[in-house]
Amino acid sequence: MLRYLFQRTLMMIPTLLVISALVFVIIQLPPGDYLESYIAELQSQGESVDKEKIEFLRRTYGLDKPLHEQYLYWLLGMLQGDFGYSFEYDLPVSEVVGDRLYLTILVSTVTILFTWMIAFPIGIYSATHQYSWGDYGLTLLGFIGLATPNFLLALVMLYLANVWFGTSIGGLMDPDYIDQPWSVDKVLSVLEHLWIPVLVIGTSGTAGMIRRLRANLLDELQKQYVTTGRAKGLPPFKLLTKYPLRMAMNFFIADIGSILPSVISGAEITAVVLSLPTTGPMLLGALQSQDMYLAGSFLMFLATLTVVGVLLSDIALAMLDPRIRLQGARP
Amino acid sequence: MTAPRMLAFALVCLGAALPAGATAATGSPPEVPYFAEAVARGELPGVGERLPLTPRRLAFDDGRASGRYGGQLRLLMAKANDTRQMVVYGYSRLVVYDRNLAIVPDVLERYTVEEGRRFTLYLRAGHRWSDGAPFTSEDFRYFWEDMANNAEISTFGVPAWLLVDGHAPTVEFPDATTVRYTWAVPNPYFLPGLAGARPNYIYYPAHYLEQFHPAHTAPEVLARRVAEAKARNWVALHTRRSHLYKFNNPELPTLQPWYNTTQAPAERFLFRRNPYFHRVDPEGRQLPYVDEVLMSLASSSLIPAKTGAGESDLQARYLRLDNYTFLKAGERQNDYSVRLWRTAKGSQIALFPNLNAEDPVWRKLIRDVRFRRALSLAVDRHEINQVVYFGLVIESNNTVLPQSPLFREKYQQRWARFDPDAANRLLDEIGLTARDGRNVRLLPDGRPMELIVQTAGESTEETDVLELIHDSWLKIGVKLYSKPSQREVFRNRVFAGDAVMSVWSGLSNALPTAEMSPAELAPTAQDQYQWPKWGQFYETGSNAGEAPDLREAQRLLDLNRTWQRATSTAEREDAWHEMLDIHAEQVYSIGLVCGVQQPVVVSNRLRNVPESGIYNWDPGAFFGLYQPDTFWFD
Repeated sequence: MLRYLFQRTLMMIPTLLVISALVFVIIQLPPGDYLESYIAELQSQGESVDKEKIEFLRRTYGLDKPLHEQYLYWLLGMLQGDFGYSFEYDLPVSEVVGDRLYLTILVSTVTILFTWMIAFPIGIYSATHQYSWGDYGLTLLGFIGLATPNFLLALVMLYLANVWFGTSIGGLMDPDYIDQPWSVDKVLSVLEHLWIPVLVIGTSGTAGMIRRLRANLLDELQKQYVTTGRAKGLPPFKLLTKYPLRMAMNFFIADIGSILPSVISGAEITAVVLSLPTTGPMLLGALQSQDMYLAGSFLMFLATLTVVGVLLSDIALAMLDPRIRLQGARP
Repeated sequence: MTAPRMLAFALVCLGAALPAGATAATGSPPEVPYFAEAVARGELPGVGERLPLTPRRLAFDDGRASGRYGGQLRLLMAKANDTRQMVVYGYSRLVVYDRNLAIVPDVLERYTVEEGRRFTLYLRAGHRWSDGAPFTSEDFRYFWEDMANNAEISTFGVPAWLLVDGHAPTVEFPDATTVRYTWAVPNPYFLPGLAGARPNYIYYPAHYLEQFHPAHTAPEVLARRVAEAKARNWVALHTRRSHLYKFNNPELPTLQPWYNTTQAPAERFLFRRNPYFHRVDPEGRQLPYVDEVLMSLASSSLIPAKTGAGESDLQARYLRLDNYTFLKAGERQNDYSVRLWRTAKGSQIALFPNLNAEDPVWRKLIRDVRFRRALSLAVDRHEINQVVYFGLVIESNNTVLPQSPLFREKYQQRWARFDPDAANRLLDEIGLTARDGRNVRLLPDGRPMELIVQTAGESTEETDVLELIHDSWLKIGVKLYSKPSQREVFRNRVFAGDAVMSVWSGLSNALPTAEMSPAELAPTAQDQYQWPKWGQFYETGSNAGEAPDLREAQRLLDLNRTWQRATSTAEREDAWHEMLDIHAEQVYSIGLVCGVQQPVVVSNRLRNVPESGIYNWDPGAFFGLYQPDTFWFD
């Protein structure tokens, strides 16, 4: 086990290096650089730009250096905990991300919990009552959630919440609370706004989870140990939760790997539509304006979380399910 | 401290001591309630001492009413760097445009101009920065000596906007309230530059910035500050802290009516009233009326919805004409009113035939004035107005607006009527008579006349309009294809001559007076899409691009030169008119419609906001022209 752990951890290093190179190249792929998009933005508002000033900025930000030099500079900086400098905000990247991270974690965690709370009972019900009206009805509901475009649902709910409940549009709290220290009223205001993003982002995740749980559970329910247990007179609920449900949980643990990065990134498009103060809109903005260190460092952060998440779920699977072997079968 | 600086300091002290006595005689203006407590506690001097000796007294002869103090003005913006809009709206400048677009002193008490080349600026005695430090010629000296002439800050020498024909001015500081700029030849750009929406700054708060400058701070202290701020070097630190225009450093003193108190990144920015602001209302009470401005950020696509829900007291930015009906629907429920102001672009959307196109066949054709006239005659501007703009806009060439004193009807209407027959005759006259099976004319080399119009692909408005033009151009046998791309790609295609025709907005200032620069009408910049290479040639001092080889274009450059050298308004007017005339006759750009309305949402409690106005960047500074410091809450 230890040897396996060691190997897996070692493998992360080249993986992350490759990712960092890819991230950097892809961000640089669109024509122009940050300063050019900056100039274009200024000009679209009628402002003029001083050529000398731009040349000065280009030199200050090191944008005149060749690409590989910029890459190495960024990479070495990150190894020392310096994530670079955001051009757009004129601040170190770590300071830009700041508060947004906590709010993102809040939204994402609540959303994930919401997804589980809805998906688990429905999944179990659908599996145990296969092909019943309830199964069809609930599955249909799940699919509608999956099929409705998130941004559309978000807009509709924003409008309705504003018209019916007078909730201020967008954001995660009433504007009055933004700079205030945390208080009961502020928490209530957050709760008042939180349900929209949670519902919108949650609905799309629920359907997938319902189907996977249902399929896995159905596989197990037909096995002989279930029949045996039932023949021996185990109460149905205890039988279900103690044996087949546990067996059907593998997919769920494997999912943890992908949950970790999504907790941090938030649902970008929905967040943009809802104007949430989370990291998603920031990343999107950074990519659009080619604020390369902000975008690059954030993407690297997500990549690292994904790699770590996959490692964690592999370890958890190996520990929880004795059937899973660490090495491929040797002849 | 050097001797002249000592003298300056002494004068300032004298100036600061004076107002208390002076206002005591005339009766001190009432204290601003917002500061009453701080004044009572002795933390802030009384209003009489905070105002300059001679504040700028506004006349209110245009129907504005004296207001009451207090309240918080809510604005919506999309990005943290929109904080600069408060510098734009505040519109406190050395000199400003008044509502008739004449330049008048604002921060300056007065100024004199001799021979168009010697500018003497007189500051207001006792004027102070928002932190209470005196605002004197020392701040101008700091800019000139420690910034503009510092080899590390200005690596390319004195900023280009201070040069005339490559020569820098002589700058003198006779005393604490006088500054003199002198050039060898007239410099008509100087005052408009100071009055700009994004002004050229020739002063910086020396007392604050000296801590980041090696000429005033010990190297080890400066090195520590640079390291603490994680800046690359002192220049980067100095630049970052000194953006008077960006308003992103709450510590940086300002002369605007409100100062920023919030450091980015943030979702809300609070601006408080500047205790030392230099304008007073007709009764002598210190402005602004409104105590605080609260700027909240939201994604730009949500701003119309939030405005419609009553979350902004004064909003125009990020609102478009097609939001009008939605905004109007919320008027009663949320107690605001929607007003329609006019934008001041020469043309909302204009087509730019690229005289520098790479394709030799197309280039030859586009340089033929008959071809350009034919294309213009074959655009049905009335239809565009009715279909896309609810019939609310002015059908016009890309030229100055009727509100401009330079306006003539022929500039607006020449070659702008819809007359496909005349257009067809012109094209036949060029010899483009052969047609293919679709009835599309053939180019001289036999290719069908398929004109690809490049767009930046950012608005559906452009594509809608192009669709209408497509139909009307078919009547003269020209097939239009629109090709959207990304803005950077678009620009580079035009610059390189790959684009035969492109779409962009028209003249950025269509409200000129004769005193404003006509450079936009002559090939002087690369981003003039009808002649990018000629513009580049001018911009780079003949190092890149191509020299203009059309007689009329050269004439435009000469006229621009004449305007620059002129010493009288009449001469400048003549230059302007000839340039406008050439544009109207030569159809260097095909303007469609102008005067598109800008919805302005104003809370019903907010007074002194004009019913109708001009919403323009420069001149205008958006709301700045109408002095938001005189707006007040009922």
